[in-house]
Amino acid sequence: MKQYKIMRYIIFAIIGFIILGTGLVLIKLLPDAEGILKTLPYICVGLGSGLLGGNLGTAIKNWFALKNPQIAKQVEIEEKDERNRSISDRAKAKAYDLMIYTYSSILLAFALMGVELYVVLTLVAVYLFIVSTNVYYLIKYHKEV
Amino acid sequence: MLYFEWKAYFPFGTGGDVVKNRLEEIRKQKGIRQEKLATDLEVSRQTIGSLENGRYNPSIILAFKIARYFGMSIEEIFIYEEDEGNETI
Repeated sequence: MKQYKIMRYIIFAIIGFIILGTGLVLIKLLPDAEGILKTLPYICVGLGSGLLGGNLGTAIKNWFALKNPQIAKQVEIEEKDERNRSISDRAKAKAYDLMIYTYSSILLAFALMGVELYVVLTLVAVYLFIVSTNVYYLIKYHKEV
Repeated sequence: MLYFEWKAYFPFGTGGDVVKNRLEEIRKQKGIRQEKLATDLEVSRQTIGSLENGRYNPSIILAFKIARYFGMSIEEIFIYEEDEGNETI
């Protein structure tokens, strides 16, 4: 049976709440800030919301699993089920193939629109990173399997 | 552009060769419900349903688990039917 930790997620949720609160206070207190102080509050709000939402959700899920071990067991079976996993892998593979085509189209469109060079180069770097990750895992799995 | 080889990674439900099974027949003979079988084998009920309908072929581990569960050999439950057009080397 899985170990369900709650306290750790609650602590992270509290940290998230504090960061979110700090961000909101900074937005109110520093309306005319320049440079890093202008963007920092928004980064805090984004980071804080993510931490709060994600960890609070996991804490509630784990608390529910502790209270209902039978449902928790069923959820665990569904997660580990080999058919569910193959379906999920197939869906991911389809989405990956589609992403490669859409990403290439966006790249081409940006280049034709005359978007600044550093934007196009960043997108190309990300594209190459994704494709090389694919190649890396292809080689790795061919060796392992 | 990289070519993604489907069949190399997901070798089920596509080829001419067919794996049939007697899972439903055996389960009903033993008077076991799909839910009970799924819980005992630690798989989802949908997996049992798909196996019985022939829509999904199990991994070798699950096939062994099923065979062991019923006290039978794999060949007694799963029947491999080779495609007539396929030549074995």
